[in-house]
Amino acid sequence: MKSWTRREFGRLTGAALLTALNQPKARGQAKARVVVIGGGIGGATVAKYLAATATAIEVTLVEPRQSYATCFFSNLYLAGLRPFESLSHGYEALAKQYGITVIHESAAAIHPAVKTVALNNGSKLSYDRLVVAPGIAFRDRALNGYDEAAMEIMPHAWNAGQQTRLLRQQLESMEDGGLFVLVAPPNPFRCPPAPYERASLVASYFQRRKPKAKILILDAKDSFNAQDLFQDAWNRHYPGMIEWLPAQFTGGVTAIDAKTRSVITEGATFKAAVANVIPAQMAGRLAQQAGLANQSGWCPVDPVTFESALQPGVHLVGDAIIGWDMPKSAFCANSQAKACAFAIAADLTGSARFPAHLFNTCYTYLAPDDAFSNAISFKPVDGKLKSVISFISKVEESSEVRRQAARAAEGWYDAFTHDVFG
Amino acid sequence: MRPVARSAIAAGLVLLVSQSGAAEEADQGAQLASTCASCHRLDGGGTIIPSIIGLGEERLTNALLAYRASQSPNHIMHAIALSLNDEEIASVARYVAAQGK
Repeated sequence: MKSWTRREFGRLTGAALLTALNQPKARGQAKARVVVIGGGIGGATVAKYLAATATAIEVTLVEPRQSYATCFFSNLYLAGLRPFESLSHGYEALAKQYGITVIHESAAAIHPAVKTVALNNGSKLSYDRLVVAPGIAFRDRALNGYDEAAMEIMPHAWNAGQQTRLLRQQLESMEDGGLFVLVAPPNPFRCPPAPYERASLVASYFQRRKPKAKILILDAKDSFNAQDLFQDAWNRHYPGMIEWLPAQFTGGVTAIDAKTRSVITEGATFKAAVANVIPAQMAGRLAQQAGLANQSGWCPVDPVTFESALQPGVHLVGDAIIGWDMPKSAFCANSQAKACAFAIAADLTGSARFPAHLFNTCYTYLAPDDAFSNAISFKPVDGKLKSVISFISKVEESSEVRRQAARAAEGWYDAFTHDVFG
Repeated sequence: MRPVARSAIAAGLVLLVSQSGAAEEADQGAQLASTCASCHRLDGGGTIIPSIIGLGEERLTNALLAYRASQSPNHIMHAIALSLNDEEIASVARYVAAQGK
């Protein structure tokens, strides 16, 4: 007889937690089909929660990559505090444990009128509902001279993967005393505190290995997320190392010269030893091509069902949507994805509808043992997602409270990635 | 229709309604519990962030009520609990407690 370890037993009871909902409409009918395009946080969460709780639905996930590397926590990798492999998550559990058909292909086009998706390999998928979670793309010609070739010299590292590794290599081989220039994007963009968390953690790396190095942040904005918390931490942990220049001081970054690794603002040219250029963003390419984005570059959706306001039968979640008060964070994508999955299940299987609970929680590192957290709840009000309750850590908190938050963040990463991919 | 038959049908209806009420409460609990899963591993594993599996309905209810009442010790749980009404706290606590058994 097999003897169960506590862990295995726990896994069994845990699997039971995602129990099937009551699905009255679904009895005796052919299975409804949902296709999800995009296996990032939003897409993978929709696929998992539909497959686990709406058993009368057949779920297909279309994602070209074999594994997904998280942007969140990639700043710890850049600072040499975490191996790259620890950011990477495969799709095996979604396929094997939840019965999702995972197709490693790119979607070429969607045809909402006939409810099909064309894949790059020439095959076609039919759907009853489609979920598109395309993440972000960079705006064309947002910065003069910042093209694909320039990205290989001055990486954005804003989609975790080869770009993140490239930036890490550059930081490692930079000489002590070098200038690291970080170009921060205009609103709205993926993960509002992340450019400043990146500056903080790179500073912690410099402090350990290259104490004479400097960091210059050239911002497209005049203020940024949790600015008081960051600036307090920069003074405490890295005095004199990080300089932040708002757009009103520089006139904004207008061009990039990859040949000289320079960032050009209206008034001056800054020559970098290493440059991280994070350009202006918009919804992912597929959303643009499929007519899911409006003139803002982002996708308008219904705040209850996350169905596209432009294409019926197509839902969107994550960074690509117009989220109103909801920031473009992995936590928001995951929260939206669950609400979207339950709304689709209710439509297709008749399962009960309840008011959705939408949240954002972020842990942000200021130093390896100093992190802050925020928590916001959101509600649909007058066709928009409005923040209802909002808390954030305070500048005057004790170092012990911050140390605990830095530890809690690690536990959160484990639980959260398990919720999405496990 | 004979009175006995009529009351039997009525009793049957009551039973049906209460069964679907319980099923609906379980579904509400399941949907709410999906929020817990963003931070708490529900397979009994995980580190640092405390497990909520195996705590029992009363302890979960009391914890959520305490978190709702005060921002200390945890503003994340305070924000989550503030978004829940009494009925929602009852269904999510009952649901999560049942999974640990």
